[in-house]
Amino acid sequence: MKIIETSTGEKRLVDILPVEIDEFKTFKKERYFFDWKKEKHQEVYKLQIKGMSDVFGLVSIERIPEEWRIHIRLLTVSKENKGKEKKYDKIIGNLMAFVAKIALREFGELACVSLRPKSQIARHYMETYNMNLTGLTLSMEIPQILALINLYDND
Amino acid sequence: MTENTKDKLDTEFGVDSRYSSEKERKSDAAALMEARLRRMKNLSKEKITKAKLMQLKLRMDEYIKHPAHDNHSNFLEFLKSYIDTLYSKRSDFARDIAVTSVSLSQVINKHREPKEEFLLKLMIHSEKVYAGFCAFPKEIWYQVYYHEKICNTMSNQKEWRPEIEKDIRVSAVL
Repeated sequence: MKIIETSTGEKRLVDILPVEIDEFKTFKKERYFFDWKKEKHQEVYKLQIKGMSDVFGLVSIERIPEEWRIHIRLLTVSKENKGKEKKYDKIIGNLMAFVAKIALREFGELACVSLRPKSQIARHYMETYNMNLTGLTLSMEIPQILALINLYDND
Repeated sequence: MTENTKDKLDTEFGVDSRYSSEKERKSDAAALMEARLRRMKNLSKEKITKAKLMQLKLRMDEYIKHPAHDNHSNFLEFLKSYIDTLYSKRSDFARDIAVTSVSLSQVINKHREPKEEFLLKLMIHSEKVYAGFCAFPKEIWYQVYYHEKICNTMSNQKEWRPEIEKDIRVSAVL
């Protein structure tokens, strides 16, 4: 999986790894938008460029096996990777594809990844990831999951 | 608008999608499940097969990254899953890779180890099946098979070590 350095167009290989409990205090709200310490009892992953320690993205998930579903609780990029001036592109996409892989590995053809955005960003996720809208919940199921994994595994 | 609010309206910064109550979660889950079941009915057989094959590849990837040190045969479990996803009769797979049904059955039922040629045929068959829809490393069956060998050998030392070790001497001077 790779992210793209926007200034050069260069692709950089990434690792997505579990966050250790003592790392949460380093994820400040000023750079990662949320109070990530509140997620320290959840399953949280960080995105880093291979061989480097700086964290460019975070995702917190909840596995709901009885519904064959993984719910994304919280998802973010680091501040310098947001908006038009971002340093690296495709961070959110890589994190979404990573979660989609866990869902597919665990639940096969029944897999589902869900999101419940509180603000008006639902449309962005529907358009970018072709997510379905049910009430206030966005979901990716097999057709979207396969497409997303293939897109980010083969880039 | 404050800087913080502007940040949070930016579509690319991320999303806070935590449920605010158990009631909200339950009500969303019920509606979502109903909609998903409706959509699942329209899922083609081809998509289901592709999903199962990609799931198998991800499970193999995971096993290679975190091999279990137990006596469970992951290789055979993956092999059975691969065959049963693609064929309604295992003998059809045997025919496609030019082995006899008897020898396939012996491998699957742990009555014999797969020969090198069997692994090569399995590798080529998988390459053809996965081509065009999913990246499938050609070495993956080998990796699973030999990871399992290593894990089983290491975890079964109590069984094989005493008999083997009694014949081992080190006469070389260090």
